Amino acid sequence: MAEKSNLETEVRSRPKEEFNFFQDQRVRSVLYQLLTAGIVGWLAWYLISNTAHNLEVRGMNTGFGFWNVSAGFDTDFKLVDYTPGIGTYGDIFIIGALNTLLISFLSIVFSTILGFIVGVLRLSRNWLVAKVALAYVEIFRNIPLLIQIVFWYIGVFSLLPRVKQSLDLSFGTGRVVLNNRGLYFSTPIPGDLFWLTPLAFVIAVIGAFMYRRWAHKRQDASGVQTNTILPSLAAIILIPLAVYFATGMPLNWNVPELSGFNYVGGTSVPPAFLALLVSLSIYHAAHIAESVRAGILSVNKGQNEAALSIGLSPARVMSMVVIPQAMPAIVPPLISNWMNTVKNSSLAIAIGYSDIVALFMQTALNQAGYAVEMVGMTMAFYMFISLTISFFLNIYNKRVQLVER
Amino acid sequence: MAIVKAEKTPDRPAPVLESSVLGWLYKNLFSSVFNTLLTFFTLYIIYLTISGVYVWGVKDATFVADNRRECYDNSLTGACWAGVIDWLDNIFYGRYPREEIWRIDLGGVLLALWMAPLWMGRVKGKVLVGTSVVVFYPFLAGYLFSGGDKGLFMQIMVTSAIVAFVVNMANMLVGLAKNTSLPNFVIQLTGQSKAPDKTQRNVLLLLLAIVFAAVFVWQMNWTVESISWTKWGGLFLTLVISGIGIASALPGGIILALGRRSKLPIVRVLSTGFIEVFRSVPLITVLFMATTMFPLFMPEGFVLNKLVQVIIAVILFNACYMAETVRAGLQAIPKGQFEGAHTIGLGYWGTMGLIIMPQALKHMIPNIVGSFIGLLKDTTLVSIIGLFDVLGMLRSISKDIPWLGLHKEPLVFGAILFFILCFLMSKYSRHLEVKLSAGRKH
Repeated sequence: MAEKSNLETEVRSRPKEEFNFFQDQRVRSVLYQLLTAGIVGWLAWYLISNTAHNLEVRGMNTGFGFWNVSAGFDTDFKLVDYTPGIGTYGDIFIIGALNTLLISFLSIVFSTILGFIVGVLRLSRNWLVAKVALAYVEIFRNIPLLIQIVFWYIGVFSLLPRVKQSLDLSFGTGRVVLNNRGLYFSTPIPGDLFWLTPLAFVIAVIGAFMYRRWAHKRQDASGVQTNTILPSLAAIILIPLAVYFATGMPLNWNVPELSGFNYVGGTSVPPAFLALLVSLSIYHAAHIAESVRAGILSVNKGQNEAALSIGLSPARVMSMVVIPQAMPAIVPPLISNWMNTVKNSSLAIAIGYSDIVALFMQTALNQAGYAVEMVGMTMAFYMFISLTISFFLNIYNKRVQLVER
Repeated sequence: MAIVKAEKTPDRPAPVLESSVLGWLYKNLFSSVFNTLLTFFTLYIIYLTISGVYVWGVKDATFVADNRRECYDNSLTGACWAGVIDWLDNIFYGRYPREEIWRIDLGGVLLALWMAPLWMGRVKGKVLVGTSVVVFYPFLAGYLFSGGDKGLFMQIMVTSAIVAFVVNMANMLVGLAKNTSLPNFVIQLTGQSKAPDKTQRNVLLLLLAIVFAAVFVWQMNWTVESISWTKWGGLFLTLVISGIGIASALPGGIILALGRRSKLPIVRVLSTGFIEVFRSVPLITVLFMATTMFPLFMPEGFVLNKLVQVIIAVILFNACYMAETVRAGLQAIPKGQFEGAHTIGLGYWGTMGLIIMPQALKHMIPNIVGSFIGLLKDTTLVSIIGLFDVLGMLRSISKDIPWLGLHKEPLVFGAILFFILCFLMSKYSRHLEVKLSAGRKH
């Protein structure tokens, strides 16, 4: 009863709300959005119409027809077959993209390894080592990457000995040779039955994993620890070797040979590639080292002490207690560093390594003149990579967060 | 019989291991055989590096020479700093006419003086000082650096800038001397401190108008020679680009970040898309886009010069990174602040402008300094598209006839220059971070 009367009084006493068109929140939000959309749409229309008009006036080509047009220039470094005059601009795009991916991938691998080492050294109990690691980080983080790249290219890899006095990096066998034209190394040519060796390797790795799982299960069930590392290593190394010898060593080497003024055979990478690889690895290792250090420091000190007090060895404390807990703090900055590596590999253009920017956005654009399309495609390529990487990062973050709760 | 001792036992000295130099050495360098080996190995590496650098850069180096041949005559293995020293003016000022360099120096001094009050505890009105630098300084500096005839707009802006500067300096002096703000001081001086607020305001405005008129008349006769942007270069150009970049990226970043956190779906989608597009591509592609596509975007016959194109590209690129910095700052603000602001009846802009942004921005200062370091380093990229910034100048030393082929020394010099700038700024930003977060905890 009381409820009802309350309701009635409320209905009676509610003041008559005046509907003010411009004060209403919903009206406002729609208006704001229409306004924004209108401004952005008008801007887009303005730019597009200007562009269309300018393209017409200048008689510039539009459309994606260039993809199948043959390109008349060559590149010094390519991962796919390409002949100037026959290969198309589409091939150029693919060559550039692959070159970018190759240099980024290698730089990421090296910088991550180096970064983890330096990051751990930064926390070393040896004062001198920690300070040297600190100096490394500070020096390489605070010098612009472009200066570092140009320095490695002009100051180091271009000053190497000439072809005739090449440095032999493989102890006199001539398998790996370094000179001012680049790095030359032998490539294996698999013979008959060679496929059995990698197969044996894969089987050995799978076997080692299963053995490890079995050992873990046994430890969970009975508490008996089994040494898994030695037998696994032995299997992974010995089984493929045995297969390799049993099939009669079916592997030949394509060794670079000095002929005339240059090396022939094997595989070569130009000095620009080496300079870019070294500088990207060193620069990003300094950044990764800092995130590794921050990640390790973010693990509660008590975890470390507790693990030591239950009798784990320092190495096991690191690998079984500290690092697994530090990973959620390390991985996001690590991956954003990897993304930066991919983006920074575009600085290749300063020293003439043919990545996608230098090859496609610069040379091809100057030759063919499809400015809008080529710039757009190059940007789309980088966006695609970034989105892919952040997609996986999001999956990782979700998994880690679930584990935490 | 008491078991407890009546008198205090004397303090034992700290263990030798903890207190002496030897103990420190033992603990930090020689605690085990492995550690000892590591220490000696590291010492050896340090010795090799330092002695190598010393012999190359100092002992065998040539500091005075007219060309590279003379350097070689002096020493074949040492550095040839003479080339760098010969080009020092170019590295700092580019090809700016030598007799006009005072304008750049004056611009730098003005900026330093203008910003000085921000670090002085006694000076009042820091927010106004900061805003006036961002709003007015660019016009004054822009005119100082480029010169030529002033249009009416430029005259008004230059006058405003000078007035703002004078008021700022007076405010600083008053603050330092009397520990009060300039308006209060002026009111007291004119004996109006008892008058109603309105009268006080009118007195101040009148004085400001008089100063403005005086400066306006003075600056009409003041002109400096016009200098084309193509002559700008060196560290000066690098600082101009990164300075404009960071100053404009901040407001742009704030707008984008607010857009990204907005409840309005269209605004949110547009801002997010814009931010993500620019953050996922390298700066060099944005710069190329600027130089190849901006001319197409503009109406026919309208030509932007390359410097403006580059600056727009840098602003767009950095606004998107700044947006993420701002967003992180906004996320760190507790929800209660938003709710409290709503409770006292503030709308969206009131909440953001009066409550949220001031707190967020204060805690973002270290990150903003960090972005500025990144921007300063990234600005070297403009040398790729043909502007003569520091790196462009350093690389052209090797094309100068007397110093043909001198590559290494200029680059090392540039590396040291940037290292000093960036290292000091990053130390400062870390110091700020500690200072600000200490204030936050209490």
